[in-house]
Amino acid sequence: MSVDAYSERAKAKAGETEGFSVPWSRPRPKRTAVSARLVSAITILVLLAAWTVSASLQLVPPVFLPSPAAVWAKFVIVARDGFIDATLLQHVVASLWRVFAALIAAILVGVPVGLAIGISRVGRGVFDPLLEFLRPIPPLAYLPLIIIWFGIGEPSKILVIAIAMLAPVALSTAAGVRGVSRERVDAARSLGATRAQVIRHVILPSALPSILTGLRIALGAGWSTLVAAELVAATRGLGFMIQSAAQFLVTDVVVMGILVIAIIAFALEFVIRRIERVLVPWAGRE
Amino acid sequence: MPHLTLDKVSVHYNGQPAPAVERVSLDVGKGDFVVLVGRSGCGKTSLLNVAAGLVEPAAGLATVGGRPITGPGPNRAVVFQNDALFPWLTARENVAFALRLRGVSADKRARRADELLSLVKLGDAGDKRVWELSGGMRQRVGLARALAAEPEFLLLDEPLGALDALTRERMQTTLIDLWAASKVGVLMVTHGIEEALVLATRIVVLAPAPGHVVRSFETCFGRRYAAGKPIRAIKADPAFAAARAELTDAIFEGEAA
Repeated sequence: MSVDAYSERAKAKAGETEGFSVPWSRPRPKRTAVSARLVSAITILVLLAAWTVSASLQLVPPVFLPSPAAVWAKFVIVARDGFIDATLLQHVVASLWRVFAALIAAILVGVPVGLAIGISRVGRGVFDPLLEFLRPIPPLAYLPLIIIWFGIGEPSKILVIAIAMLAPVALSTAAGVRGVSRERVDAARSLGATRAQVIRHVILPSALPSILTGLRIALGAGWSTLVAAELVAATRGLGFMIQSAAQFLVTDVVVMGILVIAIIAFALEFVIRRIERVLVPWAGRE
Repeated sequence: MPHLTLDKVSVHYNGQPAPAVERVSLDVGKGDFVVLVGRSGCGKTSLLNVAAGLVEPAAGLATVGGRPITGPGPNRAVVFQNDALFPWLTARENVAFALRLRGVSADKRARRADELLSLVKLGDAGDKRVWELSGGMRQRVGLARALAAEPEFLLLDEPLGALDALTRERMQTTLIDLWAASKVGVLMVTHGIEEALVLATRIVVLAPAPGHVVRSFETCFGRRYAAGKPIRAIKADPAFAAARAELTDAIFEGEAA
């Protein structure tokens, strides 16, 4: 009879409080999300309208602010015919490739470093000051040094972006590792887990939500470093495209490039949030 | 026959002026169900952690099967108050965790995990994620996970503390069933006086500042249930009420009123 009672309970509504146990909170109902999204959409439309009106009234000369129509026309032209020897798609691919190569490098270095900071006092002593030193330096400041050391080739560009990504990845990993519940680790140890097994089977999965947050922040940081990375000796890339356009005062290409960067960053954010939902469905429910 | 023994164990945490536990001796044999009770701060959980190998005693000796305890080990599986399950695994994978650590093949450990899940009456919940389970069900998974390590001793740190009264009562009988079927030695910490009486073969009463043993009772209500007597009848027995009053007195003895 108790078995029946239990299966009944399992079907009970999620989020229902059971006695003293902590209630699981399910994702919020869609209602609030939709209205927030509506406000966002209206905000964007209003801004677009203001932009259109000010451009058509010629409140500022087109060299400073081209009209949305001009930017769209430029987008179509650059997408079809290209700008400075490369189509828009080639610029986008060049930039994306750099950012993702840098992201992989940042993961390969940042996750172990974060793990070391989180689990060992020596690790924290070694890496914490290095990261704190590196984190606030703007990419434009260390760019010359990297070019002196590694030349003007592709590795330098990837390295500039990777350095910007390193701190968020490592620090998020460390925070996740430090947040692992003591009981979970003790439970694993009492079930016979060695230190390495605790790291592999308990600490890393526990820290995964935090690591993914770090990757999201890192992608943002990487994207914003793109223009700096493509400042020297690039022939392709969105950052390069914007700078070249600026030199010739082709403002519509500049604005178009900015919008393309923003849209891609937005799309990446969306994709990572999707990945989070698939990989760590338990996040926020424990 | 292996024994889990604490011999004049003291626990002194870093930075604390006084020891948490002073010179406590305990012995848990195979088939024993020893329950530690006492007011807050009497060091129940500290003693359990010493037995688990998670806390090192400042003085005294903790042994299992005659060998000193130097760290946690699968012969002494711990179940915590907050289940401490792994949310990235299904109920079945949680139960199979100890077997996975030992490199048992995937289908073998899935089969064993399913056996253990039906033992704790969760036979059809193997594919459920931890957050889909109720508090009582999660504790059942935690118990099955501990049993999968095939421990000689089960160390239970207020495993029913976070459950509601009805679920708790059901879990108590489940615990007795598991204990009677597996013949492991159990060392359990609880706040529940009735719970201690229902489950224990021996109740050890501790008093705080610093933690020490004040009394030790031999009881048999759990054995009666295991022998087939209904749990409600046991609790309604006048002997149970008398034992309950005596145990309550022992716990609050010497407390400034």
